[in-house]
Amino acid sequence: MDYRIKAGSSVRSHHFLKVVLVLLVISSLLLLPLLAYAAGGGKPATKLYNVADTRNMEPGLSKWIADIYNDNLWTFGLLVVAIMAIMGLALGYLMDRSLVLLGINLGKLDHHE
Amino acid sequence: MDIFNVYLPVAGMEFNVLLLLLIGTTVGVCGGFFGIGGAWIVTPALNIFGFPMPYAIGTDLAHMGGKSIVSTIRHGKFGNVDVRLAVSMIIGTTVGMELGASLVMYLERIGLAESVIRKIYVIFLFLIGSYVLYDYLSHVRRQRKAVKEGAPKAEYKHTLAQKLQRINIPPMIHFKTSKIRCSLWLPVLVGLVTGVVASVLGVGGGFIRMPALIYLVGCPTLVAVGTDLFEVMITGAYGAFTYGVKGRVDLLAAMYMLLGAAIGAQLGTVAVKYVRGYSIRLLFAVTIFIACASVLFKQMNLQLLSSILILTAGIVISLVIITLLIRGVMKERRTAGAKSFVSTDREVRK
Repeated sequence: MDYRIKAGSSVRSHHFLKVVLVLLVISSLLLLPLLAYAAGGGKPATKLYNVADTRNMEPGLSKWIADIYNDNLWTFGLLVVAIMAIMGLALGYLMDRSLVLLGINLGKLDHHE
Repeated sequence: MDIFNVYLPVAGMEFNVLLLLLIGTTVGVCGGFFGIGGAWIVTPALNIFGFPMPYAIGTDLAHMGGKSIVSTIRHGKFGNVDVRLAVSMIIGTTVGMELGASLVMYLERIGLAESVIRKIYVIFLFLIGSYVLYDYLSHVRRQRKAVKEGAPKAEYKHTLAQKLQRINIPPMIHFKTSKIRCSLWLPVLVGLVTGVVASVLGVGGGFIRMPALIYLVGCPTLVAVGTDLFEVMITGAYGAFTYGVKGRVDLLAAMYMLLGAAIGAQLGTVAVKYVRGYSIRLLFAVTIFIACASVLFKQMNLQLLSSILILTAGIVISLVIITLLIRGVMKERRTAGAKSFVSTDREVRK
């Protein structure tokens, strides 16, 4: 009988610890955006730039994007779609390969409701 | 943390790369799992960290296009994308979005746009969330009853969807992946209605289309998720282009977000393999209620609280989904290990 009571209380304390752990994780997650907000957040900028400022930029990806943005917005629009599509396809392929390497079965699914 | 700051030339500001990756991964996991674009997480999240609203919307739409490609391809390989159905719905959605835009213009002219739209949005989200939750609870009750009475598990019937499928207006089409036969006009009309609603409410539409595909068209949950993502991919690409041409996309930020979103989208999509359709519906209902609460806070001018709630909820839901994925993979491995042990044992005995 004593043994049973001990086992019951141990299960209860384990359950209590689990609840505390979940609450801690949720509260720390709640703090994460708050901390990030305190670090770098603030009032949203109200001024909208129509021209990207490239004066202090060194040659590289950012400057290349900014130059195209400043040159022609139609080309920029097409570039956005093209880069997103190419990156989506490439990253999708890479992630697929990685999951297969991890041994996850990626075959067709049965539809269970 | 300053070392992780990058200068975003189009938005004209410095931004933390880790934050972009976090937002991207969060929305990727939720999007891949629920079949939604996730603008409700990204736009307020970017906005509270200083992104001007038009850039936040444009950058979100741009990365959404890329992220949806990742999820749609994976869902396609799982056999969850009904391309015929998606194309039929896109026709209706496009017309519906135009009609919705005209309705918004009319509401603006009579000065009711802002207040009316937000109120309708809250009521709409609450109704969808309540119905999905009610459906889940009745399913659980039915299953329990069936187990108690020793009868075979009762299969759920989408009564409204079945009634709508029976309406015989030519051409009648067989949607192979969804395993349904109905008039072409059914998905076109459902697309039209969801298009009007999405346009009036100013949202991408995934929140509305996914349950509409289940409860009005009669799709299995996983096919609804995959087919909706196909539509999100098309609308995302179109949105990326139009906002790009207007100069409201920060391409560098979208690229960083897509890096996180691609990983998240793949994880979220693979997670559907390890859960039943009804579990997706339950989590979806919870997500809708959170979105509803966030809009309510916005209505009460508590913008910051609304944005923090939505970002935190997004992170928590993503973690739940990743936990389901890890549990599923571990269970699959244990089962595979046990099977191989049994077969080796049999061979040894022979």
